[in-house]
Amino acid sequence: MSLGFALTILLDGISYGMVLFIISVGLTITMGLMRLVNLAHGSFAMIGGYIAGYLTQGGTNFYVALLVAAIIPGILGGLAEVTVFRPLYRKAELSQVLLTIGIVFVSTAAVTVIFGAFPYPVVFPEYLTKPVDIGFRTYPAYRLFLIAVGGVVAIVLWYLIENSLYGAKLRAAVDNPRMARAVGMNVNVLFTGTFMVGCALAGLGGAMGAGIMSLEPSYALKYVVLFLVVVIVGGEGSFKGSFVAAMSLGIIDTVGKYFFSQAAPYLLYVAVFILLLWRPQGLMPAKSVA
Amino acid sequence: MKKWFLGAAASVALSLSGGVASAEVFKVGLIADFTGAFATWGMQFQQAIEAYQSANGKTVKGPDGKEHEIQFVYRDNASQGPDKTKQLAEELVLREKVKMLAGFDLSPHAMAVADIANQAKMPVVIMNAATASITRGSPYYVRVSMTIPQHVVPLAQWAWGNGIKKVFMITSDYAPGHDAALYFSKTFKALGGEIVGAEKSPIQETNYSVYMEKVLQAKPDALYMFQPAGSPSVALVKAYSERGLKTAGIKLLGTGETQEIFLPQFNDDVIGTVTAFHYTETNTNPGNTALKAQLKKMFGEKAGPDIASVAAWDGTDLIHRSVAALGPNAEGLKYLDFLKNAKLDSPRGPAVIDPVERDIVQNIYIRRVEKRDGKLVNIDIATVPMVKDPWKIDNPPKSN
Repeated sequence: MSLGFALTILLDGISYGMVLFIISVGLTITMGLMRLVNLAHGSFAMIGGYIAGYLTQGGTNFYVALLVAAIIPGILGGLAEVTVFRPLYRKAELSQVLLTIGIVFVSTAAVTVIFGAFPYPVVFPEYLTKPVDIGFRTYPAYRLFLIAVGGVVAIVLWYLIENSLYGAKLRAAVDNPRMARAVGMNVNVLFTGTFMVGCALAGLGGAMGAGIMSLEPSYALKYVVLFLVVVIVGGEGSFKGSFVAAMSLGIIDTVGKYFFSQAAPYLLYVAVFILLLWRPQGLMPAKSVA
Repeated sequence: MKKWFLGAAASVALSLSGGVASAEVFKVGLIADFTGAFATWGMQFQQAIEAYQSANGKTVKGPDGKEHEIQFVYRDNASQGPDKTKQLAEELVLREKVKMLAGFDLSPHAMAVADIANQAKMPVVIMNAATASITRGSPYYVRVSMTIPQHVVPLAQWAWGNGIKKVFMITSDYAPGHDAALYFSKTFKALGGEIVGAEKSPIQETNYSVYMEKVLQAKPDALYMFQPAGSPSVALVKAYSERGLKTAGIKLLGTGETQEIFLPQFNDDVIGTVTAFHYTETNTNPGNTALKAQLKKMFGEKAGPDIASVAAWDGTDLIHRSVAALGPNAEGLKYLDFLKNAKLDSPRGPAVIDPVERDIVQNIYIRRVEKRDGKLVNIDIATVPMVKDPWKIDNPPKSN
């Protein structure tokens, strides 16, 4: 196996991991912050994807479509947080799971009615659908685009969480929500804002990643396991953990498919199983959880 | 005046009903999935049946000289299992008193009604269910659709005859995919070709980048895919183009992936893909023109025919003709004798039912995806005449 080939596999794994990261990072924060098992997170990614598909098929500029695909799920997420999710925070996990899986079914049915049961394509700009020369080989421009956007999102989020006041509040609320309330932080506003950002990122990820995880009505259910795996492996509430987890899972899945293609569907879960035996709280759990 | 009018109307109604009263309604029970994951099949069946009956009339003149109405009674299998199919079939036979069963998009559904068909001596017209062995399950089965090997064998032969010496296969990891892989490699190797790699992909796969890397390393002349229509096949074609296989001159071969109803999901990368199939939507057979026009007229511009429509159209045609020949009250085996010796003037082209196997023998068309008037379509480039299901040739019926 040549070095160039190893690099190719690595790039494939990273680009896949970036999509997983962008979609899942919102989920990890909401699970860490609000202790909410939100199985409906994939629905927001799906809504973003379908919006981007609808707009780009109608000729809207791809980047404008991406923006709208982030904004609308963000707003929907904010509305849903206030109306549907907030009453759930103090409920038992079973209630949370039942209600959020119900939202998944509703969104699946709604998408089938509006857009049909067939897969729904997002039209990427011409230059993203072509391979480009990266020195040692040609490589799909689309994958490089995913890595670039994923990288930018990760850096911006890292900066926000580590260096801004918002980030400080967020970390405080995740680590010790009672104390955060006690010192007078408006945790409700923080929750709503964070939920919106998480859903907006999910929408963006769903739209951008449509070339890897194709849009169809079953999307929200089909991929939610992957998103949850990223959160659990990374550690609930841990931003850095979810990044590391998404990258690792992307790479493990790609390498697995290459070398043990028959076992690939199980390999990922075997890896997760072993990892959780070793570290039940995930790779980098937030302090409150650890 | 008013009284007179009513009286006249009544007498007209009486005389009309008097004329029809001696004729009978011939009921056909149609079982398919109208809701759930496979709902498209039921819809396409029903639209084609209604289109046929609207174009050709609901009644046929029997040998007794009377007009008999053919009435389809639809039952929804709801994309559930074969136990549901059995219930529906029993209800249709016992309560609705149907004289034939038809439909069946999925193989397990078609297989489930064998006992009922045998006991009730009831002909079953299978309109899709493509597992090769099905028609051996009951002497009352007649199939008007296709089998997987029927497509795959002519495709492998065409590839060999057109300068393709080395093929890489990516087939979906479920029973039809296994059949496809087996028949492609068997046929291609027997001709002298080489299979330089074979991968099975999970049935819901949408990330083919790794598979394409393997294909690139193996450097075949062509890539043969057998993938479920929808996101897997769309994703495969995308990866095929993105990873530079298309520019490297590796041809893409397939079967049902490029049906016209699926083509809008693809982008232009799919142009040039060569597939073997028993129905090409752009063909100009009179039957096809009639089917397309009727569907558009009744169900709008978006309604397009697919293999479900064609099989339902042909199945309905056969049922109408059998009632015309034998009347509405013949024995099941009599209808069967008629059905299994029938010739079809199908929208797909010429076809006959093989009387021994009660399965369809038909032309297989080799088509290439092209863009015509801004729309992706299949264009026939070769025809393999009258292909019999190769599985049945390999597995001759046991003589007893």
